[in-house]
Amino acid sequence: MSLPVKQISVNPLSGSKPGPVVEMLKDRSKPKITAVKTTDPSTVPGITIRLENLSKHFGDLQVLENLDLSIEPGSFIAIVGRSGCGKSTLLRLISGLEQPNKGTVFYDGKVHNKLNEDVCFMFQEARLLPWHSVMNNVRLGLKKNQFPKALDALQQVGLETRAEEWPSVLSGGQRQRVALARSLVHEPRLLLLDEPLGALDALTRIEMQSLIERIWLESGFTAILVTHDIAEAVALADRVIVLDQGKVDLDLDIDQPRPRQRGNAQLCQLEAEILQRILTAPDASETAAASD
Amino acid sequence: MKKLCIAALSVWFKLTKNLTGWLLPAFLIVFWEIAARNGWISLRILPSPTDIVHAAINLTLSGELASNIATSSARAGWGLLYGGVIGLVLGLLNGLVRPADRFLDTTLQMVRNVPHLALIPLVIIWFGIGEEGKIFLVTLGVFFPIYINTYHGIKTADPQLLEMGRVYGLGPWQLFSQVIFPGALPSILVGLRYALGFMWLTLIVAETIATTSGIGYMAMNAREFMQTDVVVLAILLYALLGKLADTGAHLLELRLLQWHPGFRNS
Repeated sequence: MSLPVKQISVNPLSGSKPGPVVEMLKDRSKPKITAVKTTDPSTVPGITIRLENLSKHFGDLQVLENLDLSIEPGSFIAIVGRSGCGKSTLLRLISGLEQPNKGTVFYDGKVHNKLNEDVCFMFQEARLLPWHSVMNNVRLGLKKNQFPKALDALQQVGLETRAEEWPSVLSGGQRQRVALARSLVHEPRLLLLDEPLGALDALTRIEMQSLIERIWLESGFTAILVTHDIAEAVALADRVIVLDQGKVDLDLDIDQPRPRQRGNAQLCQLEAEILQRILTAPDASETAAASD
Repeated sequence: MKKLCIAALSVWFKLTKNLTGWLLPAFLIVFWEIAARNGWISLRILPSPTDIVHAAINLTLSGELASNIATSSARAGWGLLYGGVIGLVLGLLNGLVRPADRFLDTTLQMVRNVPHLALIPLVIIWFGIGEEGKIFLVTLGVFFPIYINTYHGIKTADPQLLEMGRVYGLGPWQLFSQVIFPGALPSILVGLRYALGFMWLTLIVAETIATTSGIGYMAMNAREFMQTDVVVLAILLYALLGKLADTGAHLLELRLLQWHPGFRNS
């Protein structure tokens, strides 16, 4: 993802044609520092995330162990792994829903330890309030003067005509779309997705994947998707991270142009590669432990 | 013409659908009348339905019936209001605030296990045979079903929805008003329907023991003069009033729980 801020910091140094912004920067004595100052995080749509030495255990069970990870602002990351590998826990630690036993989560270089309005979380279940209409579910947590945004968000997910209905009459896919709209009205800078499509049928899943991709491309937030569907991970993400026994086992960039074609040979190969890695992972970690 | 027929039919079906519940009582009354007229049952033991209608007409004309129904309904209403409010408030308090729960629950459970009708002698000593004693007893009878069900409704609030609410920045008040309370409402309304049953039960007992007005008084008074028709009329009135209260509660459910699949189009 190219960022406007990065371009500004590069231009004055490289001495290329100075634009008005660059002229403004040149007036100051230290362009490099001012350029850094303009990296005001709130002007960038996505959050930069850094995890340092993150550990989490539940009782005797070590779920995550000394995990380090950096995530570029505006990128789409998929975290995959066997069930119980700690991927959901990692997502909950990143969000601030849970606290690590050790280590730190940084948002834009600042310590993050509780929920804030920049982050939205989509759960495996839609978690709509059954006693509120679709519209009022999307309005949840908004102030009155922000209510018009709810209709925009419903339009984005194509459900504006169902606004006055109860969630119980919607299909599973439609409920997840409402949940997505509910996240979008908050204009998150980080969207965390905890297997939100896991319970949907295959066709609805593909539709939802393209919807999420389209909205992500339009809005530019950072997205982290936890999934057990490797095809989904490869289709959506810039980078796939394989977790195994609380550690990063594989960190793979998916350098494929978008929109990605399903069934594309390269994607299939990447998928097979990742799958192979996950399936053989226990052996690999055992040998690693033996060599230690 | 054809359309008219269909419209008439659909109205008929709608009516009969609502009336289905009344078929059995109607049949029983007809059978009862026949039995009474043929002397199968002694009129001293059980008067015929027409006798009861006569009694009802006479008492209505004298104004006695209306004033007794009004008195009983007022007692029931005030008792329900006091008991309902106390039950709801304590249920919410103990459901939401753990220290309050620990402090109060033991006491409430002990009081709950005392049958409130056992207090009647004491209540007569405290309040005499005035209105307060009856309202006090109804309040006690109504309080527990509302308290228990409110408490239960709050305690079983969906943790997933609560977590979701926190993610979307809801404060404590919003979490209560948008997530916890609406989720507890079905349970609270079940409590209300139970409470209505206890309300009439308590009132009937209280009115037959110590009173100078009301439906129960009317029945006890009639017994002295062997007016079985009035006694049976009083019993039927309780049945009707009970049904009326339950219907009211059901309509309230339909209105407040529109979102609930179980309460739609029924």
